[in-house]
Amino acid sequence: MIRIRDIHKQYEMGPTVVHALDGVSMDITAGEFVAIVGPSGSGKSTLMNIIGCLDTPDRGEYVLAGEPVAELSDDQLAEIRNLRIGFVFQNFNLLPRATALENVELPLIYRGRGARARRRVAEEMLERVGLADRMTHLPSELSGGQRQRVAIARALVGGPSVILADEPTGALDTRTGGEIMDLFHRLNRDGVTVILVTHDPALAAQTGRSFRLLDGRIVGNGLIDNRREEAVQ
Amino acid sequence: MKLGAQMIMLWENGAMSLRSILSNKGRAFLTALGVMIGVASVIGLTALGQGARVSVEGRLSHLGANLLIIYSGEPRGTSLVRQRTTNIAPMLTREDLTFLDSLPQELVTKTAPESSMNAQLKVENRNAAATVIGTDPDYPDVRNFRPVYGAFFTELDVESRRNVAAIGVQVYRDLFPDGRDPLGQTIRINGFPFQVVAIMEEKGSPTQDASVLIPFSTYRRSLSGSDNYAIINVQAASPEVMYELQEIIERELLSLRRVPSMEFANFYIANQMDLISTVTGVADTFTLLLGGIAAISLLVGGIGIMNIMLVSVAERTREIGVRMALGAKPRHIMTQFLTEAIILSAGGGTIGVLLGNLFSWGAQRFGGLASLVTPESVLLAFSFALATGLFFGGYPAYRASRLDPIEALRYE
Ligand SMILES: Nc1ncnc2c1ncn2[C@@H]1O[C@H](COP(=O)(O)OP(=O)(O)OP(=O)(O)O)[C@@H](O)[C@H]1O
Ligand SMILES: [Mg+2]
Repeated sequence: MIRIRDIHKQYEMGPTVVHALDGVSMDITAGEFVAIVGPSGSGKSTLMNIIGCLDTPDRGEYVLAGEPVAELSDDQLAEIRNLRIGFVFQNFNLLPRATALENVELPLIYRGRGARARRRVAEEMLERVGLADRMTHLPSELSGGQRQRVAIARALVGGPSVILADEPTGALDTRTGGEIMDLFHRLNRDGVTVILVTHDPALAAQTGRSFRLLDGRIVGNGLIDNRREEAVQ
Repeated sequence: MKLGAQMIMLWENGAMSLRSILSNKGRAFLTALGVMIGVASVIGLTALGQGARVSVEGRLSHLGANLLIIYSGEPRGTSLVRQRTTNIAPMLTREDLTFLDSLPQELVTKTAPESSMNAQLKVENRNAAATVIGTDPDYPDVRNFRPVYGAFFTELDVESRRNVAAIGVQVYRDLFPDGRDPLGQTIRINGFPFQVVAIMEEKGSPTQDASVLIPFSTYRRSLSGSDNYAIINVQAASPEVMYELQEIIERELLSLRRVPSMEFANFYIANQMDLISTVTGVADTFTLLLGGIAAISLLVGGIGIMNIMLVSVAERTREIGVRMALGAKPRHIMTQFLTEAIILSAGGGTIGVLLGNLFSWGAQRFGGLASLVTPESVLLAFSFALATGLFFGGYPAYRASRLDPIEALRYE
């Protein structure tokens, strides 16, 4: 499903060059639930942006569902982002002047779904993340955790086949975070591939396996099988 | 994407643009203001130009409809305006007039010869100067200069060479300041007694208002002694035949005089059509000029739209990034901003059309100016405004659509 080979991404900041990704390779099969862990600044978000077809690597190969992403047009990329990928951004990226409901409807607009169908699906999604009573609020009128849940609802509303969640429970208490994780697990059981960036080892442990990033590289052969570790312990 | 989905996208774009415009009404108004003023001035100023045209046309038709004027002498400058020429040797003959009267009804409806001179008028001990015109009973019809009181002299008056006179309003005011009924009163023209039979309508032109009309037969006997006419007015049957008629007359009058060409002729013909096309040509140029100035202001309005749209795109970079991240294609972003520019310019244009009409109405009502809003100018100004919006909104919209999603998301 996802095949990444020797990807590099660097940023030139004046004289110094930051290697955000420095030769990352990974394979993720359809239906997997994986975690990406690593210290702050290690390149996790950068990698997620590339997997989500938002950013392009300087060097290296990325094949998504058999298609080399580098060869896709802007329109094709937009379609992939719209139809196949659900992205929960680390900083939410909600439209400040749109209500929670309108934010959640956004991906459906670009599919050309009618207003009524859109609204129904979006409402359903907001209910599932526990925001039934906050639909007409603007992001500025919501708490951090509520905003995060709007962002999650927006990522899930289009029924994507891949969910990219960058610290999706960072602003949530343990119980709400647990509910969100349950949601991801349920979707994963239905066949959705979930890629989760997290700092929380307990959350990472709930996934199938983890990649550990350090200074833009995958360490430990890039493969930590959570279940086997558990078994060893 | 299927057609239905396309329609939904279009609708969504409209709704989104409208929302974004409404969320900043003050700025939207200022943005559209340039277009508003541009459209209003195109409509208002061309209305003044066209108003001038129509009023000049109207005034020209006061001369009489479908008028050809044959003058004695050589053409001089814009002879057209010189309606009455005293002191020119009358060189148009009775033969000429007979020929003109023999022309078929499809070409000529009426003719009226005239000669004129300056004369001294006297009633009791009051004196006045006036132009005395000797002419025929058809003169009021041909020159569209009619009596308002009393009756013009008749064929019978001409045949019996009666001393009767129709006087211009100015003459009436000069000679009868007490405002008494002048009909039947006797005035003296160069010493000869004439009986007043009519007062002519007020034309606002001194040559007409200060004239006295008498039968040509009487004029010849008492005042000039010449059989010839200084001028023959010819009323053509329709505007379409006027140039043809002019040619026929020139040919025949030249041959009567045994003269090879108009260069050597002792007459010339003023064609009302020429006058109308000259004057309306000037008015049209005027309209075009005003329209051009107004179009420039519309252009400036367009630049205003571009300016604000660029700011708006910059301000909403993150929003564009979010939309792109969620699946908006470049053309979706493009249409969103283009729709916004079009709504602004169409809105500005609509208000401009109203303002332009208001201006035109006001100019007429309170400024006393002739003003005419033509549908063409409204259509032109409005479509120009739309085109301005498309054109000047196009660049910012294109810029927005070319943004890199990840850069846009990071934009602060
Ligand atoms: N646009 C950019 N310009 C310059 N440097 C960048 C840019 N984006 C990321 N970086 C650098 O690349 C490195 C990786 O950043 P990234 O956001 O991927 O880290 P991260 O692993 O997601 O960190 P965190 O856990 O704090 O979210 C950082 O050192 C960061 O400074
Ligand atoms: Mg990050």
